[in-house]
Amino acid sequence: MIEFHCVSKTYKGVKALDEVSFTVEAGSVTGFLGPNGAGKSTALRVLTGLSRPTSGSATVFGLPYAELVCPGRRVGTLLDAGALHPGRSGREVLTLGAMMLGLPRSRVGESLELVGLTGKESRRAVGGYSLGMRQRLGIAHALLGRPEALVLDEPANGLDPQGIQWMRGLLRSLADSGCAVLLSSHLLHEVEQVADQIVMIGRGRVLARGSVAELARGGGLERTFLELTAQADRSAA
Amino acid sequence: MTPTDIPFTRLLRVETRKLFDTRSGLILAVSAIGLALAAVVARGLTSEPRWFTLAGTAAIPLGTLLPVLAILTVTSEWRHRTALTTFALEPRRGRVLAAKCLPPLTATVAGCVLALLAALPMTAVAAAVHGVEATWTVAPAQVLGWIATMVLLTGQGLGMGLVLLNAPAAIVICLAGTALWSAVARLGDMGAILADWLDLNRTTNPLMNGGFTGDAALRLAVSVFVWIVVPMAAGMLRISRKEIG
Repeated sequence: MIEFHCVSKTYKGVKALDEVSFTVEAGSVTGFLGPNGAGKSTALRVLTGLSRPTSGSATVFGLPYAELVCPGRRVGTLLDAGALHPGRSGREVLTLGAMMLGLPRSRVGESLELVGLTGKESRRAVGGYSLGMRQRLGIAHALLGRPEALVLDEPANGLDPQGIQWMRGLLRSLADSGCAVLLSSHLLHEVEQVADQIVMIGRGRVLARGSVAELARGGGLERTFLELTAQADRSAA
Repeated sequence: MTPTDIPFTRLLRVETRKLFDTRSGLILAVSAIGLALAAVVARGLTSEPRWFTLAGTAAIPLGTLLPVLAILTVTSEWRHRTALTTFALEPRRGRVLAAKCLPPLTATVAGCVLALLAALPMTAVAAAVHGVEATWTVAPAQVLGWIATMVLLTGQGLGMGLVLLNAPAAIVICLAGTALWSAVARLGDMGAILADWLDLNRTTNPLMNGGFTGDAALRLAVSVFVWIVVPMAAGMLRISRKEIG
């Protein structure tokens, strides 16, 4: 469903992405794991057509994202929970999204309910939201069009432990209903319990990919992650 | 259900809504209307009851605030980084930008029409109060020239906003232009020539005052090209190639 084919991106002389290839299947959750600055956000922006790869290509449903008909209906995206106009209310942000996608206004209330934002909270300006509330709003926005694929950049950032648990349940049920979910994180414990597959990235390169069980062999997932990122740092130095 | 393409009218509705759905946008819109009406009323109280003179006074608030509204429309997505969301929903960036440019231009025409309408009763009242005859006659070309001038000023705001993607810088260039050009015009012959050809305030004068000759049209075309067409085109090109992040 979501495919990266040898995506490279050189940005101001620095290789932000180096031949990144992996796929996310329908009905599965893939955790895109790597330290800050590893290239996760760059990869997701290339995927959603906001940034152009230097070489290679990324596709969703076999097409570059920007060539999909009304891509927001088929692919839900949350690329930066902080990227909101502080003067708009949460409800207004979703109303604009629903209008743009041609969805009935009832989707606004449904999405708010899905992410647990109350009516009162939704009428407040997002400038006063906590990061956790912004994440919930961003997830609600991504889910407006009942997408078949979901791309979330660091959605667990700022969520409290209950919030993380709630998100796990939500992503699991979406994947079980056939959605392809790709979520990035720099924190292992945020993804290991919900992800079926893990793609580890460091310094723009895919360091390892496989199921959680495969990558956990030989001392656990955390050790694999730390060893691989340390190796990538050494070889880059 | 297979999704269908986002029609342009929908983008237009969304971008129009974005103009007024924040406190700052609303304050700006309400101030523009309020000050335009106040200008018409104030002129009615103080000068002869000439309909077009009364309406034309609204040019001062409208010509200041509408270019600012235009600038904020095209720059706010960068300041708040909401461009990430907007261009993820509609990757054809040129369509989004076109949908952003139309509402401020329409609002400018509407503001002018509002001023003309408000000046009708105000002229009658002023004539009655002062006990003099009201002057209603005005050449239609002059009214159209005035509206065109206001539209061009808003267009300059769009152009500067699009090319700079920075609201304060664009606002300074648009609003300080008049003062700067009057300084340039005093810098000898070369300065005067430059101002005659490039200062939008000067080149649009013949539109409002009649006497729109071939020479005036050429000067207007040159200044519109430099201040509106080139920045808009450059800005749109830059945005369509830009990394959104």
